Amino acid sequence: MPSPAPCSAGLARWLWAAAAGLAATAVIALGTAAPAHAQDAAAPRATESPYFLVPGADPSLDALPLKSTRVEVHIAGVIADVTVTQHYRNEGTRAIEARYLFPGSTRAAVHGLNVRLADRLITADIREKRQARQEYAAARQEGKTAALLEQQLPNVFQMNVANILPGDEVKVELRYTELLVPEAGRYQFVFPTVVGPRYNSPQSSQARTAWVAQPTLREGQASPAAFDLQLHIASPLAIQGVESPSHRIGVELEGERQAHVALQGEPGRPAGNRDFILHYRLAGEGIASGVLLYQGPQENFFLAMVQPPRQVDARAIPPRDYVFVVDISGSMHGFPLDTAKAVLRELIGGLRPSDTFNVLLFSGSNRFLSPQPVPATRANLEQAIRTIEQMGGGGSTELIPALKRVYAQPKAADVSRTVVVVTDGYVTVEREAFELVRRHLSQANVFAFGIGSSVNRHLIEGLARAGQGEPFVITQASQARDQATRFRRMIESPVLTSVTARFEGLEAYDVEPPQLPDVLAERPVVVFGKWRGNPGGQLVVEGRAADGPYRQVVPIATVAGAGGAPQEGGDTRALRHLWARHRIAALSDQEALEGGDGQRERITALGLQYRLLTQYTSFLAVDRVVHHPRPQDGASVDQPQPLPEGVGERALGEAPVLATAVEVPGTPEPAAWGATAVALSMLAMLVRRQRRRNAARYTD
Amino acid sequence: MNLPRLLRMPALVRWGVRIDTAPDALWLALLAAALWPTWWWMGRRLADGSDDPLGLLALAALAVLAWRSRHRLRAAPRLGWLLAALGCVLLATAGQGLLPPLALALASLLGLAAGLAAFLPPGTPRAPVTGLAVLSLPLLASLQFYAGYPLRVLTAEASRWLLGLVFRVEREGATLWVEGRRVIVDAPCSGVQMVWFGYFTACVAALLLARGDRAFLTRLPAVGALVLAGNVLRNTLLVAAEGAGRPLPGWAHEVAGLAVLAAVCAGVGWVMSRPEATRRPA
Repeated sequence: MPSPAPCSAGLARWLWAAAAGLAATAVIALGTAAPAHAQDAAAPRATESPYFLVPGADPSLDALPLKSTRVEVHIAGVIADVTVTQHYRNEGTRAIEARYLFPGSTRAAVHGLNVRLADRLITADIREKRQARQEYAAARQEGKTAALLEQQLPNVFQMNVANILPGDEVKVELRYTELLVPEAGRYQFVFPTVVGPRYNSPQSSQARTAWVAQPTLREGQASPAAFDLQLHIASPLAIQGVESPSHRIGVELEGERQAHVALQGEPGRPAGNRDFILHYRLAGEGIASGVLLYQGPQENFFLAMVQPPRQVDARAIPPRDYVFVVDISGSMHGFPLDTAKAVLRELIGGLRPSDTFNVLLFSGSNRFLSPQPVPATRANLEQAIRTIEQMGGGGSTELIPALKRVYAQPKAADVSRTVVVVTDGYVTVEREAFELVRRHLSQANVFAFGIGSSVNRHLIEGLARAGQGEPFVITQASQARDQATRFRRMIESPVLTSVTARFEGLEAYDVEPPQLPDVLAERPVVVFGKWRGNPGGQLVVEGRAADGPYRQVVPIATVAGAGGAPQEGGDTRALRHLWARHRIAALSDQEALEGGDGQRERITALGLQYRLLTQYTSFLAVDRVVHHPRPQDGASVDQPQPLPEGVGERALGEAPVLATAVEVPGTPEPAAWGATAVALSMLAMLVRRQRRRNAARYTD
Repeated sequence: MNLPRLLRMPALVRWGVRIDTAPDALWLALLAAALWPTWWWMGRRLADGSDDPLGLLALAALAVLAWRSRHRLRAAPRLGWLLAALGCVLLATAGQGLLPPLALALASLLGLAAGLAAFLPPGTPRAPVTGLAVLSLPLLASLQFYAGYPLRVLTAEASRWLLGLVFRVEREGATLWVEGRRVIVDAPCSGVQMVWFGYFTACVAALLLARGDRAFLTRLPAVGALVLAGNVLRNTLLVAAEGAGRPLPGWAHEVAGLAVLAAVCAGVGWVMSRPEATRRPA
């Protein structure tokens, strides 16, 4: 190789210098870069999970500060007003912060919290959740007694009470209201008493949620906190059949329209480890449309309920029209489509000759089997089933154009239409589909059948919710007949179609839901809203029943004033909270459908305006007196839950963790930088040894 | 246009001479520059923390090797290695978007190693150079994913066997129950890092000691056995402390791990420094 030209030699030097620099940089980077691990050793190794309480870990701490829970329920008409009083007492020798996770009804509108400490009453304020946490933490640091009530899930709440000194007694009183919607003529009041241990998947969004890690008592160990429940029912109609399938109760009737219910002890069976369930019925068979009004200082509210009779005479069933919207796209090929055909055979086969039906098959495009609905005669049914049988799956899944085409079909006013969507739901247009169904709620109820081994339940459940129908998920062909029967039973007898409810002489606005669905036999329709102007006028409910046009006029004679004097349906002050709760639930549904927290601002604003506990607002009560001069000496105590009745210890896993955040020891390798230093040192020693050997060889 | 006519064009001849006399480092630099998509991907993978940056150490070792050999590089590169380098670079370029990034990076690094091997002075073993190129890959996380669990189970089982001489031990998967106490042999305990350092030490030692390719390759199984034994020993010591109810603090875990690693590296050095068996003439 000839010697390179001087410029080339210079270039070579630069290149070698660059290579050496790269090597040096690499070594420096190796020393300074934070090594990554497939599993971060510093992070907790387990998801948050329930664990068994280990009693007696610290004798100075009262590990069971909650001494009792007392529940008082007043049901007036369709509104239940519930007061839950939790009584905490610190019997240890150290100050504590008590944390207690407890369940609630998913329909509860929690609107009040009071704390009683000795002779002082502290009324809680509603705050934005993060702000409430910050203020609570500050109060705890300052040594003030404080209570924080948060919503972890729509039906799981957490109470934190800070700075309970030894010997202190703290009573925390929370109030909520809920609407009791009868099903099949039967009213049901449920009070959950225990949050069961949750299995927490590492993939879950709740994987790092602290509340899941709650202490649990061993199997057979009853909660040391006493539980008592008293319930009073006042109804405008005669009360019948008061019973509890869950607890032993004593019932005292005061006349026909009032009942008092009290828990009775059962030896060997604690009351606080299962839901308390109460059933009762009211007399009356007709559609009782009623309205409650509340006149507040700033806003007025109403609640209207269209209540169908308990049993519908089969002769009263008006003609029905069914549109089956069947997905025949590529993903339905095979088992899903075969099952869909079986479902349709069951459904269409169950129609009466007076009914009409049509089938819309859709994939990339869509087509109706018939230009207009056809009577459900045997010949038409056979023809439809034959056509569907010949179908094979193929193409894309254009759900929205198919639904639009269904809603564009004209419908006679006296006909109740039901849309049945049959699909595996492999689409990405959920939001648009829900919106479309919601917008056309007055035209048709929507029921959704999800068929397949891995159905898009988000779409199926969302469609049913938006269409005020029910979701049906079929994962095996053998379930087809049962689900079809269940569906037929559910829509057997619409009592009213084309339902409208309007006020005459009263201006109503902010109505929920904006459009009314048909009244089905098992399902009353509830309408909330606000009103302006002078109270009075009448509610007009119109629709079509089996025997022709239906019209009911309900005069609005009495209105509760700002004091919320009880009307026939109950203490109407609750309507503020119930309306807001309903609106928040709708927004939460929308948020769940959209993903993320897009409705945070609106939900927060409603929570703050109407003083309601939500996922974004919390109740906070802070005592003004510095109660504990050395708050840093206190400790936090999680009140344990009993295992729900019938649930064994295996619910906490094969090897339940015995303490919060106790890490299972491992044997991790040393850090990368240390290992690098060791390896390089060993190589340096090898080089040195080699040089010595070579030197020795030359001197020999 | 035939060759004699081309040779009568002075400018072209001058260019030809310049190209022929260009320094080896320039060729290697051009080869490395052609593979920039791989370096970009590797840089991003290191920067986002998805892998340990140990590969940089192997790259640095290759750079040091090239630097130390700079005055003895071959004037006429070996054509076989050059062709191998060309093939790997073509594969890495053509495979963009078709092959997984890790496979493309492997082809790129093998291409670079083959390019370097083409210029390395006679007597320099090529297999350790190729080994260092493979170790340069950001593959620790992938290795942990694919080989981590088998290694953990193997380590746990061997530890169970050893600990059984003293303690009451049971194994469930990669979990050990020692006298009723639970100790997990989880991902950071699998020994994958020790595997990397064991083979890195083997490659560098083979280059330092100028071991032949055959000798290097035949001693790799012994390196694997040493690494496995080292990880079993490390794990057994630490689990024994837990089982005895005297769990060691974090720094003691580090010290024990580093001491065992030092022993393994010393063992690997010793294996590589054994004299090669001379072949009998046939």
